[in-house]
Amino acid sequence: MTASTAPVRPVAPPSRVRRVAALAAGENRLFLRNRTALVNSVVVPLLLVAAVPALGLSSDVPLGPQLILTGVGVTLVFLTYYNLVTTYVARREELVLQRMRTGELTGPEVLLGTAAPTLLVTLGQIALVAVGVVAIGEWSAPVDPVLPLIAVLGGAALMTVLAAVSTVFTRTAESAQITTLPLVLPTTALSGLITPLSSFPDALATVARFLPVTPVVELLQLGLGGVTWDGRLVDGGAAWTAALLPLAVLAGWLTLGTLAAIRWFRWAPRR
Amino acid sequence: MQPTAPPAPTPAVVAPAIEVRHLRRSYGDFEAVRGISFEVHPGEVFALLGVNGAGKTSALEVLEGLAPACGGSVRVLGADPVRDRARVRPRLGVLLQFSGLPGDLTVAETVRTWAGTLTDPRPVDEALAQVQLTGRADVRVRSLSGGERRRLDLALALLGRPDVVVLDEPTTGLDPESRRQVWRLVHDLVAGGAAVVLTTHHLEEAEELADRVAVLRAGQIVLAGTQEEIAETQPATIRFTLDQDAPEPPRPAGVQVVAERPRMEWHTRALQPVLAELLAWAAEHRVVLRALDARAASLEQAFLAVAAGAETP
Repeated sequence: MTASTAPVRPVAPPSRVRRVAALAAGENRLFLRNRTALVNSVVVPLLLVAAVPALGLSSDVPLGPQLILTGVGVTLVFLTYYNLVTTYVARREELVLQRMRTGELTGPEVLLGTAAPTLLVTLGQIALVAVGVVAIGEWSAPVDPVLPLIAVLGGAALMTVLAAVSTVFTRTAESAQITTLPLVLPTTALSGLITPLSSFPDALATVARFLPVTPVVELLQLGLGGVTWDGRLVDGGAAWTAALLPLAVLAGWLTLGTLAAIRWFRWAPRR
Repeated sequence: MQPTAPPAPTPAVVAPAIEVRHLRRSYGDFEAVRGISFEVHPGEVFALLGVNGAGKTSALEVLEGLAPACGGSVRVLGADPVRDRARVRPRLGVLLQFSGLPGDLTVAETVRTWAGTLTDPRPVDEALAQVQLTGRADVRVRSLSGGERRRLDLALALLGRPDVVVLDEPTTGLDPESRRQVWRLVHDLVAGGAAVVLTTHHLEEAEELADRVAVLRAGQIVLAGTQEEIAETQPATIRFTLDQDAPEPPRPAGVQVVAERPRMEWHTRALQPVLAELLAWAAEHRVVLRALDARAASLEQAFLAVAAGAETP
């Protein structure tokens, strides 16, 4: 008796990229039809960034890099992370995620395709802030362009993974307003995004450097302005040396988050 | 017939499309599926019947690769549906009992999106025509009726031209006409060589579609076989009306008298000889057996007898 009962059709399966792109196209269409999500995603983060100069917060870096740094941080936390928690939870509770798993898409492909509009808006927002900084004449060349790139891409990946993990203890899209607070408020407040780590007591700053948002801020600060977490100015080579710890912390959170998502992420509501 | 033995397959000229061996699945301490076994061959419909909570969906989720087995093994087209996912999925179509679709995409957009993720999808127009949704192609999913949504779900399940199809209560919520459309679709699938596993609460659906049936109770198969084999596990019924002045009828061996005259009802596991004896007696005594009705047990009778635990086969 042979193992297979029907001839396999000689058709090549779609690549991972094609599968994710197909799902992302549908998700982008859905996003554009949801006016509330559209306004919240595009307008709110920009308003928050615009408020930074008005608030007159202290900073170790000049205004231009500071605006970009704030734009990236605010966008990653308030747009990428929060939007993805609510999206994943809503899709799970509407039984859409489970439906998608019955096809050829793998779990990570479903999560990535679903996240596509949010990730695209994230990148768009950051580009918009950068253009704004150029427009107001505050642009200065980055000390090292690779570090901010790692910060943006690594930060977006980390927020996606942490959003997936956060759905484990988020039963409804509405309850995300509560369950996302631990990352949105204390972790962001201690990340150096609002107040520089150099102004913290040493012990608190040391702990804060190991929180998930902090390495993203540190890498941006180093790459854009050549400023270390404790306010020292460094050049390109020294920036990479100073970046070793935040890179390790970012990689550590990504690994932990991925393992937690694999272990605990639920595709269907609890029975 | 043994309660948990694999149902006898149709003449095995080809390997089974689905092989389930001693499958177990638990939720914590609760064992939802307790060692069930069955096979489904290409071109065959196999129905899993059972009351709510019998373990049907829990078993199907393992077949679908959505959950791992806690014990035993499952092979779909010779492969493990969880570990060999990439090999199984392009050839497996799944209709979940409950599932959702984004409400703000149109019907055509939904099918197009899903098609983009599949190896060998049908054309969108063909998929919509298959479930009579061509005229609703530009309607958003949230505006569809429950029956239309179910048909769209079915279109997605069949979009990849699957060789194995798992249908979990496919006609729940459908009107009679839509239900018959789904039945025709399943007949077409089987005629094309697909192996189909379905669960249903509608016994007439199982009678219409299934080549073989298994009845699940508390996670175990308590009855399995063809519809005829299952029906034979229950006694046949003979009913007739006998006037008060007619002579006393015979009492053939093995007959259980359920109701006395004038409207008599007998139960027997030997329908033909008992009926022959009754008719011979009536001819000999020139008795008219008014409203005579003799029939074998139905699938429904067998199901009702075993599904809720009323009788162990």
